[in-house]
Amino acid sequence: MAKKTDTAPVSLFIPRSYLTTEGNKTGSWRFLRPCYEEKTAPCGAACPAAEDIGKIEMLATQGLFKDAWETILRENPFPGVCGRVCFHPCEDACNRGSFDEAIAIHVLERFLANTARRGAFKPEMERLARKEKKIAVIGAGPAGLSAAYFLALLGYRADVFEAADEAGGVLRWGIPLYRLPLPILQEEIRRIEELGVRIQTGRTLSERDVHALAGEYDALFIACGHGRPAELGVPGEKSEEVQDGLSFLRQVREGTVSVCSGRAAVIGGGNAAIDVARSVIRLGGEAMIIYRRRRRDMPAFGEEIAMALDEGVELRELLAPVSIKSSDGGLAVEVRPMKVAGTDADGRAHVEPEGKQTEEIRIDRLFTAVGERAGEAWYEPTETGDGILRLSHCVMERKTGGLFVYGGDLTNATKSVAHAVASGKEGSMALDTLFAEGIEAVRPRLAACRVGQDGSLSMEIYMGGPRRNRSPHVVTYDEINAAYFQFAPRLRQPRLLREERVRTFEEVNLRISANLAIREAERCFNCGLCNQCDNCYLFCPDLAVKKDSGPLGRHIDYDYCKGCGVCAVECPRNALILEEEAYEEGD
Amino acid sequence: MKKVIEGSQAVAEAVRLARVNVISAYPITPQTHIVETLSVFCSDGTLDARFLKVESEHSALAALIGASSSGVRTFTATSSQGLALMHELLHWTSAARLPIVMAEVNRALGPGWNIWTDQTDSLAQRDTGWIQLYCEDGQETLDTTLQAFYLAEQVNLPVMVVLDAFFLSHTYEPVDIPEQEAVDRFLPPFAPRFQLDTANPCAFGSLVTPDAYMEMRRSIAAGMEAALDLLTEVEERFAGIFGRRWAAVEPVRCDDAEIILVTSGTVTSTCRELIDNLREQGEKVGLLKVKLFRPFPVEEIRRVLAPARKVAVIDRNFSFGASGIFAQEIRAALCNTPGHPPVFGFIAGIGGRDVTKDVLEGIYRRTVESDRPEREDIWIGLKEVPDAPEHP
Repeated sequence: MAKKTDTAPVSLFIPRSYLTTEGNKTGSWRFLRPCYEEKTAPCGAACPAAEDIGKIEMLATQGLFKDAWETILRENPFPGVCGRVCFHPCEDACNRGSFDEAIAIHVLERFLANTARRGAFKPEMERLARKEKKIAVIGAGPAGLSAAYFLALLGYRADVFEAADEAGGVLRWGIPLYRLPLPILQEEIRRIEELGVRIQTGRTLSERDVHALAGEYDALFIACGHGRPAELGVPGEKSEEVQDGLSFLRQVREGTVSVCSGRAAVIGGGNAAIDVARSVIRLGGEAMIIYRRRRRDMPAFGEEIAMALDEGVELRELLAPVSIKSSDGGLAVEVRPMKVAGTDADGRAHVEPEGKQTEEIRIDRLFTAVGERAGEAWYEPTETGDGILRLSHCVMERKTGGLFVYGGDLTNATKSVAHAVASGKEGSMALDTLFAEGIEAVRPRLAACRVGQDGSLSMEIYMGGPRRNRSPHVVTYDEINAAYFQFAPRLRQPRLLREERVRTFEEVNLRISANLAIREAERCFNCGLCNQCDNCYLFCPDLAVKKDSGPLGRHIDYDYCKGCGVCAVECPRNALILEEEAYEEGD
Repeated sequence: MKKVIEGSQAVAEAVRLARVNVISAYPITPQTHIVETLSVFCSDGTLDARFLKVESEHSALAALIGASSSGVRTFTATSSQGLALMHELLHWTSAARLPIVMAEVNRALGPGWNIWTDQTDSLAQRDTGWIQLYCEDGQETLDTTLQAFYLAEQVNLPVMVVLDAFFLSHTYEPVDIPEQEAVDRFLPPFAPRFQLDTANPCAFGSLVTPDAYMEMRRSIAAGMEAALDLLTEVEERFAGIFGRRWAAVEPVRCDDAEIILVTSGTVTSTCRELIDNLREQGEKVGLLKVKLFRPFPVEEIRRVLAPARKVAVIDRNFSFGASGIFAQEIRAALCNTPGHPPVFGFIAGIGGRDVTKDVLEGIYRRTVESDRPEREDIWIGLKEVPDAPEHP
């Protein structure tokens, strides 16, 4: 039975093969096929300017700050401005918000703009070949400047006409310096001019002048903005101590007002109301905001409201003005308490008077900040008619006098800088398509440039850049493999102390270091993007993920991939899909 | 040099002296002290080995299968649930004929969650093709671990060195730790009969058709049979160098014994004392310690037990729906011997309960008093338990 070890070796019969298994193409067993497929991140789909945020944060993580900044510039000429004043809907959409806290996208955008400024980066942007056509842009606010910028990238000559003696529109005259320092704006405007855009300031144009330009130029982009304040509609609002908030902010920016003592009230709940109140504090006065709804219904940014209150602004909610009277050298504002009764169509609380009692608030001056409208009737497009093409962020109108595109606040439902950028971008794309392919091509061409299913327009896609191939599928949180991420607190924006803030117009938000920026960018899931984490490569049991020198750095060897799908499941960021193989009957 | 050390440390010292190349393990109580000690040896340079930290016992053994295939000496240690998780790869190791050595600290399986000693974990792996050696004390554990490497590499089969949780793994005893030079004389470097070799590429473990599979299984069986003979030789060589001798089975005062108790593991030491006491009282009683469980030393067991009037097997394990596992094996070994003695199967010490001299004496008396066992499994020291409470 048993063999003695000193006489013969112990029986050893094992499966051993000297043949290669290469000939056994196990890929033929597959019925699911994994494919690398970059998808759309929800932040980018939510950004009115369609910034490729997942990509931007990935580049920032790698320390490629210039590339990250240029990726913003691809979609938005104003990273420095938007990093400061944008209402960042991207952060509300951020999938990381379902995990711990959303990425501080706007802080990173501001960091990238600051870094570009400090490093005097020169953007290397793709520009299309020069074209013969030229476009006049009326109004050098964010919409007009964006239109000129994108038209220049598309190869057109764009001349901008601005009534004020400096460009920038509401960015120059409406937003206080403590939110947007002047050099930041000036530099971003200068970069637009460096593309060959000519901005003529101090050119107030009449309707007749504009029509004359229409004959001279191939098209006009009208972006004169909303400069005329809306009225409260209560008795006494014409009195001398009542001023509209926007003109007050403009005086502050012009330097014609440098003191504002006494007790001031602002009526309104938007960012302009907050800006006025915080400016009053800085000019030595006391400020109160009177708002007819509640704090949570205010359209102003939550952080701005919080900082205003921190700086000493008083907030009186659920009060509507009834009348304004002069009284002892000041004003007596009669207000009526309101109560919430249901919800309005726009989702905000519906309010109605509560009882007949009113209250009198005694102040020295009153500012109104309840919205604006167009300064002149001719700024706006014709309501209906032949030759009118209504797009998502602008209106194209072909009339005998010429080709007009109306954009910015004139046509945007949401009045924001990011929407203004979107408007300028859409106008430039629409004109380019119209010139090249005719009016019929405009809508389908624009539809093909949306980020996600119904997101904003991407110039990257329009110009055929490498990221045009991302699938329109917007990655949801449950498609992220959250097991690969660790809880990490969101970056806290460092700020001036309150004591420093209230006596100066210095920028409130402080700079952050590259270390902090990279740490915050690293929190980003990079939804739908491959960041070469190598999980697919490590997990593949068939060694079928092969590295290569292509743009993705890897491909799948379908000769041996059995389609188990572990690569797709272990991909932390949903950059792979599994598709059913389309085998023929009888295969 | 004699030192007072734990059973776990005795294993670790033997692994160090065996100059193991790769250790891969996942910590589990009560095995942890073994790999803890080894990790210190690896980090302070006492042992020049690669220590792999893995995420599970399955991976621990998988990693060693790879390492051993490349022709180096390998070791792992585990317990209970950890061993259960290795189950698939236990089969693989033996069929791939890899001489991996494992220290297996006997621990009860959950639930109820229990870290104390119980042999069911290792005995449940009896059909996986691993040689199994059950140790009684610290010295035997050290010596057996050294022998395990020799035995495994000679027959190309894996070896499990099994020791009781706490009673052995955590008990400090004087242990003679041999000199490296003496161990080197006993245990030559591993000379693999096959290995992964980039100069001569081949694949192991590939598809085998019915045409050849049966012969491969028979080859494993032949390796097991060879191990049985070889162990005696190994003991001889070991005794020649170190002056200590152990055995596959050890009969104690069995020559004229009418009743023989059969034990394994640390219960044996307690039983030795009982036998001496009973002999002083004139009882004709003996003890058979079974150390080698796979391959099962059938002939030797028959030779010792067949002449007895009764056999009482003490099992610190249980196979549900059958009986104690040592008792099953012993019944099977005896059944073809005409006129063989009845085998009483006693279940004691499950889940770490003490098996004292009184417990063993009770078993002996019960065996004396019965002509035949009233059932295959007689549970010793069971308490009254209330009926299962209603679900709230």
